[in-house]
Parts: sequence; structure tokens; C-alpha cells
Amino acid sequence: MSTATSSVEPGSATRGWRLPFSPWHLVLVPLTFVLVVPMLWMVATSLQTQGEANRFPPVLLPHDPRIANYADAWHTAPFGTFFLNSTLVALVVVASNLVVCSLTGYAFARVRFLGRKALFMALMATLMVPFQVTMIPVFLIVKWFGDNVSPYLGINHLGALMLPNLATAFGIFFLRQFFQTVPVELEEAARVDGSSRLGVLFKIVLPLSMPAMSTLAALTILTSWNDFLWPLIVITSTDQMTVPLGLSYFQGAHQTNWPLLMAGNVMSLVPMLVVFLLAQRYFVQSVAGTGLKG
Amino acid sequence: MAGQDAAAFPPAARPGWVGRLRRSESATGWMLVSPGAILIGIFGLLPVLMALKLSFQKSDLLTPETPWVGTRNYRQLADDPRFAEAIQHTIVYTALFVPGTMLVGLLVAAALNRSVRFISVYRTAAYITMAVSTISEGIIFLWLTDKDYGLVNATLNVVGISSQPFLASTSQALYVIVAMTIWGWTGFAVIVYLAALQGVPVELHEAAAIDGARPFTRFRTITLPLLSPASLFLMVWLTINALQLFDEVYLTTRGGPLHATTVIVYYLWDQAFVQFNAGYAAAMAYALFVVIVIFTALQFWLSRKFVHYS
Amino acid sequence: MNKRPFARIAALVSVAALTLAGCGGGGGGGSDSGGKTKVVVWNGYEDVQGKNLTALIAKYNNENPDVEVTQLVSSSDRVLQKVLTAVRGGTPPDVAYMFGSWSPNIAKIPQVVDMSSYVNDADWQWNDFYEGERQAATVGDKIVGVPALVDNLAIVYNKALFKEAGIAPPSADWTWDDFRTAAKALTDPAKKQYGWLIPADGTEDTVWHYDAMLWEAGGDILNSDNTQAAFNSDAGVEALTMLQDMAVTDKSVYLDTTNANGTKLMNSGKIGMLVTGPWDLSSLPDIDYGVQVMPTFAGSDAGHQTIAGPDNWVVFDNGSERKQAAVDFVRWLTAAEQVKTTSLATGDLPTRESVGSQVSFQKQLDKNLPGSSTFVQNLSNVKKARPSLEQYPAISEAMGQAIVSVLLGKAEPAQALDDAAKATNDALSGG
Repeated sequence: MSTATSSVEPGSATRGWRLPFSPWHLVLVPLTFVLVVPMLWMVATSLQTQGEANRFPPVLLPHDPRIANYADAWHTAPFGTFFLNSTLVALVVVASNLVVCSLTGYAFARVRFLGRKALFMALMATLMVPFQVTMIPVFLIVKWFGDNVSPYLGINHLGALMLPNLATAFGIFFLRQFFQTVPVELEEAARVDGSSRLGVLFKIVLPLSMPAMSTLAALTILTSWNDFLWPLIVITSTDQMTVPLGLSYFQGAHQTNWPLLMAGNVMSLVPMLVVFLLAQRYFVQSVAGTGLKG
Repeated sequence: MAGQDAAAFPPAARPGWVGRLRRSESATGWMLVSPGAILIGIFGLLPVLMALKLSFQKSDLLTPETPWVGTRNYRQLADDPRFAEAIQHTIVYTALFVPGTMLVGLLVAAALNRSVRFISVYRTAAYITMAVSTISEGIIFLWLTDKDYGLVNATLNVVGISSQPFLASTSQALYVIVAMTIWGWTGFAVIVYLAALQGVPVELHEAAAIDGARPFTRFRTITLPLLSPASLFLMVWLTINALQLFDEVYLTTRGGPLHATTVIVYYLWDQAFVQFNAGYAAAMAYALFVVIVIFTALQFWLSRKFVHYS
Repeated sequence: MNKRPFARIAALVSVAALTLAGCGGGGGGGSDSGGKTKVVVWNGYEDVQGKNLTALIAKYNNENPDVEVTQLVSSSDRVLQKVLTAVRGGTPPDVAYMFGSWSPNIAKIPQVVDMSSYVNDADWQWNDFYEGERQAATVGDKIVGVPALVDNLAIVYNKALFKEAGIAPPSADWTWDDFRTAAKALTDPAKKQYGWLIPADGTEDTVWHYDAMLWEAGGDILNSDNTQAAFNSDAGVEALTMLQDMAVTDKSVYLDTTNANGTKLMNSGKIGMLVTGPWDLSSLPDIDYGVQVMPTFAGSDAGHQTIAGPDNWVVFDNGSERKQAAVDFVRWLTAAEQVKTTSLATGDLPTRESVGSQVSFQKQLDKNLPGSSTFVQNLSNVKKARPSLEQYPAISEAMGQAIVSVLLGKAEPAQALDDAAKATNDALSGG
């Protein structure tokens, strides 16, 4: 919350008059409620009995909240391992994406090199074919890495979950867009002072792009954390499974154990909340705040 | 973009100097992009090319024999009324979903971009919508829009409007999917716009306020242009995702009722993994690819007019 | 600098092309370093089913020290995508739980083991499996799997709602007209209560409800040599008209177009009757329900029928040693003793007649989940099976759309079925 007070409000010309609470709460509270309804339902279901969860229209408040669902869900399968696996994958993927995508995104934003436009379009093109279609080729390529480079990169290893996601066209495009908004005069000044391109990126552009970098980090971790189809295809033993795969333990062929599934979902959500709260410190940072003028 | 490219060169440069700098710029550029380009080349581009081959084959994913059929899959697409229908649904969906999400996202982000108490709680709530699984959203929406037991109809009844069938109606189901996905993607648009709003210098607003500009005028003339790179990003990204809509349809309507919500990727999945026509499905994917490329190119081209960088 | 990435990509392309060309070579090695033969089992069992299978596997491993059976729990719904990709990459599991409706297509995978050479051995007691299960596992002259689970459709009804409406609960000699009358009496728009609910998403779940009615009316899906659609017969029209009368004329049916709420609405006391299988019983803890066999059509001599949706254990060939170990494990897992254990532990119907016909067993089953024995007895009403043809998904799609269009009041039964028959005939003639 300390960061919030230092944030800059574009429409704050009305700074003169202050209410006991901001009238904005009257807008923000209902808005927030609409956005979090699915999460509230998840939490409610996670505390219900099977009978309550098998109701339509849904029961909102459990009659006698069953906290034990969480313990039951946790003990259904080695969820400790699943959380560890998911964490490892997300950390490697986010670290790699921040480095690789910022280098690539910066080059696309600022460096005028031969083949820039063609290369950018080629990278963007990879986003345009549904994964359902490219899934088998990606599987074969990853398998090749496992057979020829290192088994830890191959099928049924966490490496297989990291490898195809180390850099994403999404991240490159995202950062390219944000880097282009950094005032070019600042970069010129540093270039005249003899800084290399890399120097400019690390000394000027990245510090000014913390909101974008932390946003990308949060989005990348989230995507990696929730990824389902690719791990489903590539992981074939329990000790390499991630959290979303573990949730399959609650969804049978014909029925679903809703309370345990939602307890598992809520547990899976907690680390993402932590990530967001950590990243949020950096979300809010203005050009003015760094002492630079636009 | 021309302006900022020129800015990359010292103003006093002579032609020969520019030529050498260009070569060294190319070297620097390639050095910077190579890690990303190699990774995406291997795990993105290569699979796209490998799958392209499949679209010229007859394949059921079951037998190893995949006879080459030339352009037959593509010619079949042209005569497939269900594919034409799927394209129509996809375009209607995209045309509503993309502007809808951007507008809602922008409004929510603008509301959240201020220094009031508990603002981080509100922001976290916006983010949470992304972290919550699609299945929960689907279930909530099925309940809200249920024709007999849903809250939406209950509300309509109170104000004297009769109950609507929503997802049970061939004419309404697609619009329910639009509403549901806008809801699900709002958090994403909010997060992106919030990040971009941090780059809007407060001095510009203060100066304009002193000049007597009203808040809405300041938002339109100062904030919106400065948000345009983020808007382009959102527009392109949301369009790419909208044209590939699958999960929400799979989890709720299964493309129905009577194909009313069968969008291209759902039809593609159905052909590949229900009907076992993988070659045909691949051809569909590349037809879709062409559509997305055209849309994206169009968006980048249009963006020259409305996107302002630094 | 800028040449190298392309060189690497080019190298990779050629390698990948080689991999593509050479794939399908099988998983290779038979034994691991410890000398034990590995058997990997993929399944989508959760909750009590999962615990039961885990216990059985532990028992088997204990009794067979030279074999190590391991399992992987995975989403049943999407397991097909996983299996197909793994087969493509040459790394299939040894055994996988697969939906019966996939059988005709799975039969085309070269690595799938044709069980016909094994199951004729006397110790398999193949004919002890119910006939509907054996039919569904057979594709042409191949047997693609061994029955893992069987179910069938019957009426599950809410006793309290029948009492409230003042009508007698379903009896074994009900006709569909009786069913319709009851559904109408159970419907109360003011209370948002419906007599019946039918899955109306147009998938196979919609179609198999209709299939049972079609057979009871004396009809068939295809002609006897599977070359032409037969469901657009008078019997087919009669069955679909019954659905139309209830859904469109009486409005006594909740059309579950998203196929998500059926069990929940039943458990909430909003629905009088559900035509469903035994898997739903454990999800109805809040109501007092009864189970009855499906009604008959007056004037049809086809009598009581139902439809079974058996799923199979499918064995994949990962070299002769693993293949034999996998076959042995499946034989043990589906032997009468294990079938009985499984059924009692999970409430699933027994896949073998010798188990299902034991009266003491039926009583035990009813004690765990009331009404289960009706489903067991109903297995003998499974007289027909869906055609085991690779074109079946296309046929199912055409029929599903015809049924939903009638239910939604957008088409007339005869016309809708004729259109679907045309699509079916096109698919059968390879169009």
C-alpha cells in the first residue's frame, strides 16, 4: 500500500478537496466484486460437501464449512512435488523470458538492423497457428533434444516444460511496444556519452520499464503455472507432474469431485497471489518518480 | 516510426559513416535478437513449418501412412458449409470481443490508476480474474445465464422482460460467449493498461489542467495517445487469441446449440480429435493463419496513423 | 553472426525430418536395470476408483516380483490427444484406459495389440464378459481392448417429487406414453421443476439416449451390413417424435444444451426423472431416488432395451517382453475376482456375467449404493451395440444435430432424420 500512495493519478487536479473516503470506492467495490465472483465461488465450493457442491443453482455458503477438504486434496496425490515442479518451471521460464525478451524486444524497438521487419513478422507468425496443430511437431522436437542433447530436456522431464517456453513471441512483442515509449532523447544522450547498445538497455531502458518488466514477469509466471495441455502431452510420470496435471486426480471419466477440485484450485492460486503482491511494488512507477522528464 | 529510427543516428553523421554504422547496427541487432530468434525459431517456427506439411496429407493421426493429397484438403475447405459458418462465427466473435475487452479494460484501469486506500487490493482483484481457471468462469456463467435458474433472467423478470434462453438459443449463444470471455480477459487488459498508464507523465496533465482542460478532454488528448502502443499490443494480442478461441467453447457449449458457437479452432479440434481428419484440420489451421496474418498486418498498418511512440 | 542461427535451424530441420520419418519404432528396451519388466498404465480414475486401482496394482506388484506396474493418472477426456502424440513419438504407454467410442479408430494404430490371439485362451473366460462389451471391443476381426468399465441407461427418479405430484413411481411395464404422462405431471413452471432432463449438446451423450429409444421402437442405426443409414425408419421417427412431444409440445423436458447441470439439477430436486447410468448415483446424496429400467414402446416387440457404453483397457506394443507383461496384467485385472473387488469398492457395474449374476453380490452392491442392482440386471437388456465403424463419429455428429434441431423446435423428426441419413450415407460411401 505504500507504493499506492506514491503512485501518480493523471486525473488528480481535484487534489484540493478530500473526503473521509474517496468516492472512487463506490465504483471500485462493485467492480471488484464482479471480477472476483468466480474466485469467491471457488473458495465456497472448496469448503462444501459433495452434496452441496452437486447443486444447481449453486449453494453459495456451505452449511458447515469443511476445511478438511484442503487436507484431503493435498493428500490425494504428491502435491508437494507438483508445487515444487511448477515452481521450478515457472522460475526458469520467467528468468529466461525477462532476459531474452528484453534483448530481443529492445532490438526490435530501437536497433535498425537488416531483416528486422521480416524477422519480427516471422516471430509473430508463430502465434498464429493453433497449438492443437503444432503440438505434435513440438513434441517431436523436444524428444529430439532429449535423445540427442540431454535426457533432462526430453519427454517426461521438467526440461521439456521449460524448453519451448524459454522465449515467447508474446514477451518480445509486449516489451517492444513498451520500450518504444521510453523517451528516445535519453538514449541518445547516453549513446553520445559512449554507452553501447547493451549499456543503454541496462542503464536507461530497463530501469524506466520496471512496470512493463514486472507485468511481463507476472503474466509469464501465470501462464507457465496454469499451462495444462502441453504438460499433459509431454509428462508421463507422477514425479514430474505439475499442479494443473495433479488436479486431474479430482476429475474422473464420469464425475468430478468439485469440493476437492476447487480446494486444489485455491491452493494453486495462492502462490500466484504472492507473486502478484510482490510484483505489484514495481507495477506502479512513473517516469516522474525516477526524476526524469518526458 | 521513421522519426525514432532516425534518432538512432547521431545528427552529424556523413553518408559513409552512416553506411558503416548501419552495418554495425545490423551486427548489434542480430546479436541482441539471436537468443530469442533461435529459441522461437526452433520451438515456434519449425513446428509451424512441420505442421504445414500435414495440411497437404491425408492423416488420421492413427496410421503411419499419410498419403500426399496435394491441395485437396484446401479445396475441400472451400466447399464446406460448416467451415464457412465457423469463419462467420469467429469474425463476429472477434469483432465484438476485441473492442469490448479493450474498452472495459481501459475503463477499469483508469478507475484503478489512482492513489486511494486499498488500491492494491483492487488491483489484485483484477489480476485474480486471470489466475482463476476457465472452468470456474464457465460454471459461473452457465449459472448466471441459465434460462430457468439464472440470475440474469431473474433480474430481467423483475423489470418485466421475459426469460431469455441464452446459451440454449442458436441466436444468442455466441453473444453469451462474447460476454463471458470479455469478463475473463478484463484482468489482462487492465494489467497491461495499468503498466502503460505508469508512463503517462503527470506534468502534462497538470499543465493541461492549468490551461483549463476538463478531465475527459485531458484523458482523450493526453492519456489516450500515450496509451496507443499498449492499445496496439492489446488489439493484436486479443485478436490473435480471439481468432483462436477454443477453451471457453469446449467447456460450455461444445460448439452448439446446432453449431451456433462453432468457431474455427473448435471445428478444427473436432475434425482432428473427434473425426480423425488431422490433415483437414491442419489445412484449416493454415487457412486461419492467412486470416490472422492479414488482420495483424492490417492492424500494424493502421497503427501508423494512431500509435504514438515516445 | 547473423548466419549462425539459420545454420542451426537448418540442421535441426533436417534432423527433425529424419525423426519424423523414423518415428513409430517403438519404445525399445524391455527391462530396466533392476531386471523388472515395466508396465505403465495410463488411466483417468479419481477418488474411490483411483484408490481401488492403486491397491490392486500394489497387490499385483507384490505377487509378481519380476514385474513393476506403475500408473499415471491423467484426464480421461483429453487422454486421446496424449496417447496419439505419444504413439507418434514412439513412446506409448503399455496399457491405457480408453473410451469405447474411440475403438474403431484406435484399431488403426499399428502399436495397438490385437487381443484376439490371447482372449481365446480358456483362462481368459472371454465369453463371461457381457455381450455388449465384447461387441464394443471388437472391430472387424480385431479385438482392440479388454472391458474395463461397463454401464447402461435406466430411469433414475426422485421419489419425493412423484409423491408430491400424486403419481405412481415408474414400473417395469411402463410404456413411453406412461413416461410422457408422468413427465408432464411432474412439470411445474411455477416451481421451475421439470419432469425429465436430456443432454442436448448434440454430442454422443445426446445420441446414445436416442439410440436406446430407437432400438426399443424396433429400429436400427444402420442396415445389417453397415452400408446405409437405417435410423430414418418409421421406428426412428416414432422415437424422435416422442422426444419432440415432450420437449416441444409438453415442455416437460429441461434441455441441457451445455450438458453440465443434469446431475446437479437432479440432486437439487428440480427434475423428476433422469435417464442416466450408475455413475450418477453417488452424486445424488441429497435426494431419495429409485431406479427403474427404461420404458417400452407400445406396439413394438423390441421390449426393454438399453445401451451400454463400455470402456476398455487397450494394450500397446513396446517390445515383446513388455507386451506380454502388459497382457498378463490386464488378464489379471479383468479376471472375475478383481472385477468383483472393483465393483464392490467403487460401485461400478461388474464387467463379467459370472459376477453380476450372484444374488449375494447384488445385495452387497445395493447396500453401498441403492439401485445399483437394477443397473446390473439391466445389463441383460443390452441387446444391440453402436456400429464399430471408423465413420461412426461422423454418423454420431449427424444424428446429434438432427436430434437437437427437433428438441429445439427447429425441425420435424422425419425431415431431420432424412437429412442426417443423407450425411451418414455420404460418410459411409467414403465421401
